[in-house]
Amino acid sequence: MRATLQEELDRLEEALQEEAELVLRSLRGAIAVLTEQDLELADEIIAFDDEVDRAYLALEQDVEELLARQTPVARDLRLVLASLHVNLHLERAADLCVTMCKLAKLVASSPADPAVVASFREMGERAETMLRVAMQALAGRDVAGAESLVEMDELIDRANRRLVGRILDLGSDPDRREWGLRMLVISRCLERIGDHAVDIGEQTAYLVTGELREFTDASHPGSEDE
Amino acid sequence: MRGLGDTRSRRGSELAFAALLLSSLAVGMAALVALLADVIHDGAGWVTWRLLTQAPSADPAVAGARPAILATIYLGLLLLAMVVPVGVASAVYLEEYARKERWYNRLLEIAIQNLAGVPSIVYGILGLAFIVRGAGLGRVLLAGAIILALLTLPTVIIASREAIRAVSDSIRQGAYALGATRWQVVSRQVLPAALPGIATGTILALSRGLGETAPLLMIGALTFIAFDPTLLGPFTALPVQIYNWIRQPQAEFRRLAAAAILLLLALVLSLNAAAIWIRDRAQRRW
Amino acid sequence: MVAIVDPARLLERRPSAQVERPSCVFELRDVSVLYSGKAALKGISLDIQARLITAIIGPSGCGKSTFIRCLNRMNDLIPGAKVRGTILYHGQDLYAAEVDPVEVRRRIGMVFQKPNPFPKSIFDNVAFGPRVLGLREDLGARVERALRQAALWEEVKDRLDASALTLSGGQQQRLCIARCLAVEPEVILMDEPASALDPIATAAIEDLMHELKREYTIVIVTHNMQQAARVADMTAFFSVDVGPEGERAGILVEYDRTEKIFTQPADPRTEGYVTGRFG
Repeated sequence: MRATLQEELDRLEEALQEEAELVLRSLRGAIAVLTEQDLELADEIIAFDDEVDRAYLALEQDVEELLARQTPVARDLRLVLASLHVNLHLERAADLCVTMCKLAKLVASSPADPAVVASFREMGERAETMLRVAMQALAGRDVAGAESLVEMDELIDRANRRLVGRILDLGSDPDRREWGLRMLVISRCLERIGDHAVDIGEQTAYLVTGELREFTDASHPGSEDE
Repeated sequence: MRGLGDTRSRRGSELAFAALLLSSLAVGMAALVALLADVIHDGAGWVTWRLLTQAPSADPAVAGARPAILATIYLGLLLLAMVVPVGVASAVYLEEYARKERWYNRLLEIAIQNLAGVPSIVYGILGLAFIVRGAGLGRVLLAGAIILALLTLPTVIIASREAIRAVSDSIRQGAYALGATRWQVVSRQVLPAALPGIATGTILALSRGLGETAPLLMIGALTFIAFDPTLLGPFTALPVQIYNWIRQPQAEFRRLAAAAILLLLALVLSLNAAAIWIRDRAQRRW
Repeated sequence: MVAIVDPARLLERRPSAQVERPSCVFELRDVSVLYSGKAALKGISLDIQARLITAIIGPSGCGKSTFIRCLNRMNDLIPGAKVRGTILYHGQDLYAAEVDPVEVRRRIGMVFQKPNPFPKSIFDNVAFGPRVLGLREDLGARVERALRQAALWEEVKDRLDASALTLSGGQQQRLCIARCLAVEPEVILMDEPASALDPIATAAIEDLMHELKREYTIVIVTHNMQQAARVADMTAFFSVDVGPEGERAGILVEYDRTEKIFTQPADPRTEGYVTGRFG
């Protein structure tokens, strides 16, 4: 029954997973830019964002038409609404990769700090894993998997806090201070990508349970210190 | 709040009405039963093989109604052969082909409805003038059959029209939409579906026609025929035979008449039963 | 007033579509229908494309059923009905004097609102069309193929001699579709085919339409907008136009891809109707 609706929902999910692959490519590229200072790659990643944007817009339009034509309800409706949100989170994650590449270009002249680079590699790889896990949990309707993202996010948050400390210790040299600020922003970008992955997990939980709730309430009552 | 009503007074009037209906039914039934009882009392003993196989005679001991019975059967068959094609074809024309708003079709409809109510003796007079004398057929069985056919034709047409009209228009639309011509729609969908109704109406008309006496008397269904009837020969029929026997002075002839009445009743009732059976079968199929 | 839309764009979105240039099955130019002098439809111009589902929606009295009956000359059966304007079927004038309505109705079949199976057996129902058209060879195979295409074969294959009236409403409607398919039409017209059915039977009919669309051109009249949104590729919105003396006639307001009609209708009357704020 309702073969058309099912086909369209399947296509929607496929499109979402394909878009996630594009975003992961952007992220891997951005990490490589940060750790290897590859400026040509940075330009490629920035240009590549157009593809992500195209996928984003196409998905938005597909959702609009699906809602207008098929009037889904219950679980189908939640899937469509969740897809809208996930779409947005993916697109923002990709934008953050572009930001990181632009910043990397700006600080290309300054010497790299190996500790910072190592930190970025660690955070970046964790963010990449988190996005993968989030998309897998969505495909598998896996609420436990989605909830595990909160703990994974911890590593990124801790690394971000450590970097803040280090930057504050840099001293008063204006060049170093400018470099430090940019590093902070990059770190913040990676931390935001982690947050987007958690948000995608929340959408998975909403899809399955019908309840929209913030994961951080469940396991981390404490507030972030920035 | 007002109480939910005093049902006693209403129940009373309901009962009174039901009692009134039942007593009306009882009066009718009682009259019929009385007539039947009288006839059975008079004639039961006289329904013998002799009644069916012997020709009438002045001696009631050996009289039978064989020519009359045969003539009634022949009349029935001829009636069917004439009335069914003409009646059904007319009904099909009026319902499926005629454009209802045309004045001549409306005139036709009114004429048929009026003809159904014309007293049978009028048909007898007309038959005498146009068929016996005018067409030169003479006072023969065929003439009697033609007159009875004309008499029952309006009834058959009306019954067939009702049956055809009862066929749902959605069936016709469905058949047309598949590419059927008007004739195919009529012959393959409408008539088969209307058949039970047409059959019922025809049989009822037939049983009425077989009981008609006046027109047959008008055209001279001779009252004393001792030989088997032929198509173009003189004839008598069961109702006429009954009439003749009733007029005889001897009491035995009255008993013979009662017996013949029972025979005629049996014939008519079995025809009616057949009509009901056909209608029932058709409804079950649907 | 007519959007002659490029349906090629339509085919890009469908995953399993054959890539072929869609052709025009019907072309209507300024078509009007009058019943005993009173106009029921005025000035309708649109094109119906092959192997798409085209839906006709609109309020009651806007001439949707009248419109669809023009396409297979069923209006001929209504005394006092006159059709003006041009209706071309594959470029040929459908109402030309030499055109045989029987042949028209063979190529352009129709399914009605209330299922109307004949009071005959299931087999005889489906076989009726081929029989009256003289297609008698291989009748059994033809009936089976039609019943399979109508997704009814499995349910009735063991009781083809049973009366068609013993089937449920949804099954009867599928039987009527099979009856129509048995004569191998090119076009199937459906006049509110599911409005007498319950939601499950309706869903079955809609899935069936989705399947049939691969081989047949389908035009469906429906008063259920959501149904049009679900099944149709193109949607035409008809409405009632009130003349200077109060005479009412049906007109075409908007005709476009279904997505467009239900997300960004061009005409405010269309928007008023699909959002349910009409009147």
